Amino acid sequence: MSTEITKIGIISCSGEAIAEGTISRLATRRVLELLRPDVTVTLCLPLFLSGNDGERNFARTHPTITIDGCSKQCARWGTEKHSGPVSGALVVSDILGTESSGCHRSSRDASPVDKEAVWAVAERIAAEVDAVLAEVAPRDTGVAEISTAQCACSSPLPGSKLSIKGKTLSIPGLPLIFEQCAERGIPAHADEGAILLDSVKIYHCVAPEDEAEYRTALVAAFQEFKSGLKPAK
Amino acid sequence: MTNELRANPALVIPCSGIGKVHGLISRESAYLVTDELAPKHTDTLCLALLVKGDSEAVAAVRSHTCITIDGCAKACAQKNVEIAGGRVAKAIQVAESLKNYRGAKPGNATALTDEGWAITRDIAGDVACASARLRADAELIR
Repeated sequence: MSTEITKIGIISCSGEAIAEGTISRLATRRVLELLRPDVTVTLCLPLFLSGNDGERNFARTHPTITIDGCSKQCARWGTEKHSGPVSGALVVSDILGTESSGCHRSSRDASPVDKEAVWAVAERIAAEVDAVLAEVAPRDTGVAEISTAQCACSSPLPGSKLSIKGKTLSIPGLPLIFEQCAERGIPAHADEGAILLDSVKIYHCVAPEDEAEYRTALVAAFQEFKSGLKPAK
Repeated sequence: MTNELRANPALVIPCSGIGKVHGLISRESAYLVTDELAPKHTDTLCLALLVKGDSEAVAAVRSHTCITIDGCAKACAQKNVEIAGGRVAKAIQVAESLKNYRGAKPGNATALTDEGWAITRDIAGDVACASARLRADAELIR
């Protein structure tokens, strides 16, 4: 495994009661899938808010941007309460103003107005991602010199790389995930690949067809991690 | 069960998980129920607002019967309604429901396929039936 700077976390409120919640969810997906796929990750907000330390480590280990539908800012509130200050906080109703009045909650009713709104918010999120990246980039180049005492709530922590189907993929926060697994007493055994994969899938999307390869790679990396011969950084 | 159920619609609360198609199915199922199948007898609220501890949201789940639709076994919607003091009359998990549609390709976390919409409509139908049954039980008691 080699070290690499973690990605930007985006947490959407996805509020069900209002159209802006749907826009926050879809715009976040658009950034993850299309606009900034290589530098962003996400997590379900309810899981984050009600989860254990593993879930809540998310915003401690990623510079995080929250996307809220309304001024109640549930995503920002929850993230800051459990994981410290966020790097950016956007509110859909502030971005769109009255333009969101014609939007719908369900995607089956989506009109050109909804699609335009999702694009506008997605582009705003992408710009925020770029701004946060620009802020952390100087620190990226000097990772080796960064003191471990530095505040984790706004500075990125190293991730790790795995080889999947001949490609090298970045797994942000993998050392922390392994630490948590080790604390839970999970043995570094081939039979535990599913548990390791489940832990990784809390934070990262894994295509079903890649799961078998992920299990094998994670077991090998976890064995390496536990052996202490080459501890994950 | 109290008579207030007649006056107060059931709350249908999805998890809206953002990482997989399961969350989208939960969300769209809820909208099908509240907007189309049983608009006069059901409503929804923001799960994040409830988890935040908003007093109005907490009061709402305590004064209405709740039906939760979760994407996965983590059951964030069900657990958080219960933690807030609400009563979950029916809890659905999309991942479990999908076992009845082996081989189906419902779409992804962003968009549903026609097959995904069909599954969503089936789940919404189950929720609407549960809501109707709750109303019928309330009438009987009354």
